[in-house]
Amino acid sequence: MASSRAELLSMFQKTASEITEREFPPISEGTVISELGIDSLGMLEIVGSMERELKVQLPDEALAGIQTVRDLIELVEKKQAFPPTANAS
Amino acid sequence: MGASDPKDTAGQARLYEMYKTFFDKAEQERRWNPVRDVPYDKINKDAPESLVVVAETFCCVESFLPDYVAGGINIVRPFFGQAWFSANWAYEESKHSVALMEYLLRSGRRTPEQMFDLQSKLMETKWELPFGTAREMTIYGCFQEMATFVIYVKQELGAKQYGDECLAAIFRLNARDEIAHCRFYEDVVKVLLEEDRPGTLRDIAHVAKHFQMPGVGIVPDYDERIKVMREEGKVDRSVFLQKVFFPVLKYLDVTRQELQEASSRERAALNEDRRESRNDERRTRAAE
Repeated sequence: MASSRAELLSMFQKTASEITEREFPPISEGTVISELGIDSLGMLEIVGSMERELKVQLPDEALAGIQTVRDLIELVEKKQAFPPTANAS
Repeated sequence: MGASDPKDTAGQARLYEMYKTFFDKAEQERRWNPVRDVPYDKINKDAPESLVVVAETFCCVESFLPDYVAGGINIVRPFFGQAWFSANWAYEESKHSVALMEYLLRSGRRTPEQMFDLQSKLMETKWELPFGTAREMTIYGCFQEMATFVIYVKQELGAKQYGDECLAAIFRLNARDEIAHCRFYEDVVKVLLEEDRPGTLRDIAHVAKHFQMPGVGIVPDYDERIKVMREEGKVDRSVFLQKVFFPVLKYLDVTRQELQEASSRERAALNEDRRESRNDERRTRAAE
């Protein structure tokens, strides 16, 4: 079942803390990920952990464009709305 | 076992063959002279200061060559092919700083006093090896050389835009060496993956997690300089993933998911160690 935006936001906050072993002030959708002190590789780790939990796989080429938490949430939502089909060519 | 064991002759012979191929190609296709082959007569002496800062910043990072050589060659000393590669690498990198320094001096944008003051200031700090094993440093080499290649290519476009054909040529020559170095490191890592995939994946994940470019923390005014470089080269944060990280993984035939699993295992092991050490402390306190 697709997660709501609020659930995804909360998942990001929790995962970011677990991965970086830091506590963050409340994160909003507009938060720029780099401004949390999370670099691009740190962001990939967070994405990977969320992918496992949500059982989705985001395309590598889309990840480079993620700047804000909203970008990531929208990518996940899109993936959940249109999961790849087994016989897709 | 294999290439990671200095006593394994077959593994070492394989690395030597790789070095021989690299060296032969370099001799045939890539040799250049920073004094004679750079078109210093095509310097744009009116180029903006920001472009000069870009050249100077590259020069600063390249100036830690003595530390890179000392640290880098000693860590691979037992591996003939890799150690000899390091010697050749140092020769090629030394040309990069000479060309950049010549550019800064011949353009009249920096005086010899300014350059030698800067060199002396740089040498007050020492670059330390960011990782402790030959395998980790070889992996680091893949990402670092690819990143440097990408930045040189981006800056070459900037230099051309300002009509500085000389600096564009230096950036192009340096970039060509950097990508060749990257390929050598990648080919070694491919062999290491063949021999011990889980261990090498764990190291790739570890290096990726702690990766920093070599100038961080040692080049004076680094943050300001990087800001200028980002603006001039139109380099944003997405470039690292798009042009460096994913292309290296693709060449190595490693997926992001494999790395993430390795990373999770490392974190779980670390947490287990912490739990164990807390339990040990509790037991010790209880016994007291």
